[in-house]
Order: sequence, then structure tokens, then C-alpha cells
Amino acid sequence: MRFSDILRLCRQNLFRRKSRTILTVLGVIVGCCSIVLMISLAQGINEQNEKMLKSMGDLSIVTVYTSGSGMVNTSSGTEQVKLDDKAVESFRSMNDVIGVTPVMNFPYTATLKAGAGGRYIADYVQIMGIDMTQFDQMGYKIADGDKPFKDGQVMAGEWLAYDFMDTLRGGEMRYANRGDGSYSCTYNEATGQCEASEDQDPYFDIRNTRLTLVTGANYQGDSYTNGSMGSGAAGQSDTMSETLTISGLTKSDQNKGYATSSGLVMDLKTMKELIAKVDPSAVKKANTYDQVYVKAADLSAVPDVESQLKSMGYETSSYEDMRQTMEEQTSSIRLILGGIGAVSLLVAAIGIANTMVMSVSERTREIGIMKALGCYVRDIRVMFLAEAGAIGFLGGVIGCLLSALLSLGINLIGMTYFASMYGYVSNDAESLSFWQRLWQAIAGGDNVTRYSVIPWWLYVFAIVFATLIGLLFGFGPANKAVKIPALDAIKNDQ
Amino acid sequence: MATGKHPHLTATSAKRPIIEVRHLRKEYPVADDSVVALADINLTIAQGQICCIYGESGSGKSTLLNQLAGMEKPTHGGVRIRGVVISRLDEHELAAFRQRHLGFVFQSYNLLPNLTAVENVAMPLMFRGVPKERREAIARSILKRVGLGNRLEHYPTQMSGGQQQRVGIARAFVAKPEVVFADEPTGNLDSKTKVDVMEMIVSFARDLNQTIVLVTHDDNMAQYADRIVTLLDGRIINDRMIR
Repeated sequence: MRFSDILRLCRQNLFRRKSRTILTVLGVIVGCCSIVLMISLAQGINEQNEKMLKSMGDLSIVTVYTSGSGMVNTSSGTEQVKLDDKAVESFRSMNDVIGVTPVMNFPYTATLKAGAGGRYIADYVQIMGIDMTQFDQMGYKIADGDKPFKDGQVMAGEWLAYDFMDTLRGGEMRYANRGDGSYSCTYNEATGQCEASEDQDPYFDIRNTRLTLVTGANYQGDSYTNGSMGSGAAGQSDTMSETLTISGLTKSDQNKGYATSSGLVMDLKTMKELIAKVDPSAVKKANTYDQVYVKAADLSAVPDVESQLKSMGYETSSYEDMRQTMEEQTSSIRLILGGIGAVSLLVAAIGIANTMVMSVSERTREIGIMKALGCYVRDIRVMFLAEAGAIGFLGGVIGCLLSALLSLGINLIGMTYFASMYGYVSNDAESLSFWQRLWQAIAGGDNVTRYSVIPWWLYVFAIVFATLIGLLFGFGPANKAVKIPALDAIKNDQ
Repeated sequence: MATGKHPHLTATSAKRPIIEVRHLRKEYPVADDSVVALADINLTIAQGQICCIYGESGSGKSTLLNQLAGMEKPTHGGVRIRGVVISRLDEHELAAFRQRHLGFVFQSYNLLPNLTAVENVAMPLMFRGVPKERREAIARSILKRVGLGNRLEHYPTQMSGGQQQRVGIARAFVAKPEVVFADEPTGNLDSKTKVDVMEMIVSFARDLNQTIVLVTHDDNMAQYADRIVTLLDGRIINDRMIR
């Protein structure tokens, strides 16, 4: 028998018992929906966790530091491990490591000045030194401009320009929404609501302005801010100035140092030269680093890289432990929720078995006729399995469509009514049109909280699973059908 | 073929034997005992012969038909059709054998209720894997021959008993089998239709030189056969050629 003929017969039989088929399929739809929605809720939790972790740090970066007690065996006995250039080189040669950079923080207080007579001041500027050759490998991003390519050039944090205050206007600053969760609003008396401030331009174009860096071994900050903060003028002896130009802006990334947001990022060499100018005796000390960032090739390589580093005598920290705990929690939640959903699919499967048993018993005679006329047993089995599988498949497909709609509904309701409770969504839902919200509910986004997330594999899994369940529970009845003797047909009683 | 082994059986017919029954015995277990339904049947039917198995109910004629068609396993002895011992075939081989060589006409028509006349007739061809267009074309032409050209797309419940049996006959002959078994084909019909149906079966058989095994307890119907084998209590008590 051709498979197309088996399918045709199977369709005819399902249509013949329309209401029974519909009810059985309905059972599978409910089962499929419950399992998909339950797992989608677990996926939603997972997505939120991942977002939270991402906001906390680059998960593939391991921070290496020394505790002071780490020892390492060398040819001349044990000696304390050091984070120096040699150590950095050895990290680079490790497997699954794609980037290594020492991180130096400028050890002195620094002030940046710009404009005529140093009109604009940014005080207590964070200055970070990294290996600029590892910039891309470590995942640093450029917001504007280029990496420094000649002496005297450094990079500025994306929002550094907004840290400058105007000393001629009482220290006033310009505002911009930095997209980092800090939120500012001004009270509008007319509407009685707090409205978001509008983005302004900074006082000057930081990329085309010469900046003067003021610092010193005992420098305590600019007299203007010290005065305004009332701490009095401290000893400002031994200050020095350095003229800098900004080659580009680094994309703000809190995980890679505050300096990427509103500080200066420079090459290690530039920083060492700067330190030498301030205090030549400190240069030697600057050859060991406080910490080194090691970036693993991917998340799964992080535990391995960490254990290698630890065996070398270093201390490490990463988000791996936390990520693993969260992942374990999520997968147990997924298992529990999926299990609850699976129960209703099991009930649906029993429904399929019931339908098929009834169908076999009422078609005993037909099966006998078909056998007498030379239908292969194999074809009869396939026919019944196809019917059971079709019920499962149909229920799975409709169930998935319904789940998609329900999931969309859950997200829309959640985004509309609960978003404000968490204060997590900065693009608050009310400001978006219905269609924009609908799109967010479907596709998600960086600052969208979805409660129910259905990844594409869940649809595939649900449909395949429902079909398999149908086949599995159709197997018993199909075998029963196969055993019906052809003799039943030839018997004369009607 | 085994004809050499049993020359005495083939000698009774001048034509090529198509069905050979040897020492066939069938018992059914009843409680601790068993009932003998067929006791040592020996029978050879030649190709093209219309053979009537005649007997009262309980004579064992239906049991014999079941044995001939391979519906049940014999207790002893066996049936050979075209040289193949059918009791030794497994389920799959038996199905393949039925597809190619056997046709059936039933007393209660046994049409599938959810298939139209054309689909019912085309069914044996469908089991063989003949594509839909081709098999339904064949089914249509044979239905026209049995006078149901205007009932092609009707379902069994929309047809009279006589019409249903004509569909059944069309189905039995559609695959041009060598042997057609007819189990009381006129049992449920009125006397006028009976004649139509029997004439139809005979005319098909004569056209293609097909062998018919007709089981009946109706004297009038038996008269359409070439040969009447009378059964009583599981034994052949009379075997005569009437044509």
C-alpha cells in the first residue's frame, strides 16, 4: 500500500468520527499548551536571570589577583606569585584564553581641565591602564573615534564629557541619560508629574578639545571643588600638568571598569610614563599589577580557565559560580513546571489510547475484510499508528499556536501592569504604542521583561513530543488491530 | 510442482489443477474434547472450473472454504493453490498471495462503509500499491460492466442489497484473480436478484477462465456450477460434474 493511500484512509477515518477526533485532539491541545506554557515560564525566569547576570558583568572574564599568600615552586625554592608581565605572558599561552590584560588604576588623584583658563573642570577622574593591543579581544567597544595611535593620545569614557562642570556658572553640569539605570527627572508643576530630563549636549566636543591633566603625588583635587565642598585647601605642592588629546570614546561598560563610562582609558605604557613623571620611585612598583583580566573563549571554558589559574597559585573571581547556581535553579524549576505540564499531556495520551481502542473495536469487521482482501498486516499497523500520530501532531500544532497566543497575552499583561512594580523597565510601557509593545512581547529586547519565553526549539519539541506520545499510545491498539483474524469478515453473521 | 507425487489426484481432471486438497482434517477444541469439522477431505479443482460446495448448514462447507482461502490453519493435511501450500505461508506471504491470486465475494457484501463504490472496488489494487488514478479508472470500467455506472460515487448505505453485492462482485474480479471464493453470495438477496448476481459471476469467470469456488445450500444456485461437491458431516458424500 502506498503511504499516500494510508494517509488518505487515515484522514477519512478521522473525519468519519469527527466529534470524537475533535475531543481527543482538544485533550492533546490542552496538554501541549500546559507543557509549553509551563516551560516558557521557566524560560522567562531564565531570561531574566541571564539579563541580571549580564548587567553585573562580562561572564566570560575571570579576574586574577594575588592574595599575598600564594606561593609557587621555582628552581630556587618557593617564592611568592607575582602578577607581572611574565605572568601575563603565561596566561596568554593557556588554552581557551582569547585575551589577557593587566588592569592598572592610576594611583594619584587627577583633575581634567578644558576650555579657556581651565573653565571646565572634571575632578577625581578615574584613569585606567590596559593593554591596548588586547582592546578588542577583551570585549571593549569603541563608541566613537579610534584607539590611541600616538603618544599623548588616550581614550575617554563615553560619558566623561558630562562630568565637566562650568566653574563660571557655579559648577553647573549638562545632563544626558546614560542608559545605566540612573534616572533623573524634574517635577513638572503643570502636569504634577516627574518628567524625564531631555538630553543635552556637553559643554564642548571632547574629541576636539585639548585636555589638561593635573595631578601630583600629594595632589588632593582641584581647589575649586575642594572649596565648594568645604574641605579647605590642602597642600597642593608638587602638582604637574600633562596635555592630552582624546582619540576616541570607549563604550560604557560597568563590568570593564568605571573608567569606560566616565574616566580615561590609556595604554599601560602611557600610564607608566605618567606615573614616572609624577614619582620616578614608584615606577618599579608599577611593574606588578593589582589585577589581570583573563577572557575565556566562551562561557563553558570559564571553570577550566579558573582552575588552571588557581593551580598556578593565583586567586580568581568570576560570575561562574553564581551563574551555575542560577542555572541549576532554573533547570530544576523548569523540570518541576514541565513535569506539571507533562501530567496533563499524559492524560491527553490516555485519551488518544482510549480513542484508538474504541476505533479498533468498532472497526474489527473492516480490518477483517481488508486482511481477507490481501492488505498487509504492516499496512494496517501503520494505518492505526498514523491515525494516533495525526491526533498527536494536530494537537501539538494547534497547541503550539495557542501557546504562542497565550504567551503573548501573558507578556502583554505583565509588561503593561507589572513593569512599574520592578522599576526595571526604563522605557516604560506607557510611552510605547501598542504595536511596539506587541513587538517587544514577541521578540524581547535588552530592557524588556518577558514572563513567558518560548524558544523555537520548544515548539519543535512540543510537536515532536505530542506526535511521539500519540504513536506510543497508539501502538497497543494498533497491535490489537493487527491480531484481528480475517475470518471475522467471512463469517456470515452481520 | 508436486503433481508427480500424487498422480492419482490430477488424473481426475483433464485440465491443469489449480486447487489441490489432501487429507484435510480440521478439529475444533470443545471443553476437553474436540469436534471434527472436516474429516479427510481430498479434492482437486481444475483451472476454469466453477465448483459448487453444497451442503446443509453444519455440514462443514464454510469450514472448508476457510481452509481453502487460508483463513485458518488445518489440523492435518493441507491445501495447495497454484502449487503453493497455503497453510505454510506466514501472514505477510499469505496477504501477498491473496492480493495476486484470490478474490472474495461475501454473503453480507462486506463493503467498507466510509468508502464509495469506486474506492471499495479499487481496494484490492490499492493494497497492491497501484496509483489512485489508474486503479480507480479500472474500478470505474468494471463497475460499468456490472451496471452501476450511475452509482460510482455512492456509499454502500445509499445502495440496495443487490447493488451492494454487484459492487462486491466487481471488487472480487477487479484484480483478475485466478480463484474467486464466493460464500453464499446470494444468501441475502431476493430470487430475481439472485439470478442476476449468479449470472454475473459466471460471466466474469468464463471471460477470464477463472476458477470459482461457490459455497451454497441453495439448490437453484448450485445449478450454475460445472461441478457439485456435496458435503455432510465434514465428508464429501457426492462429487458430480453436471456440465
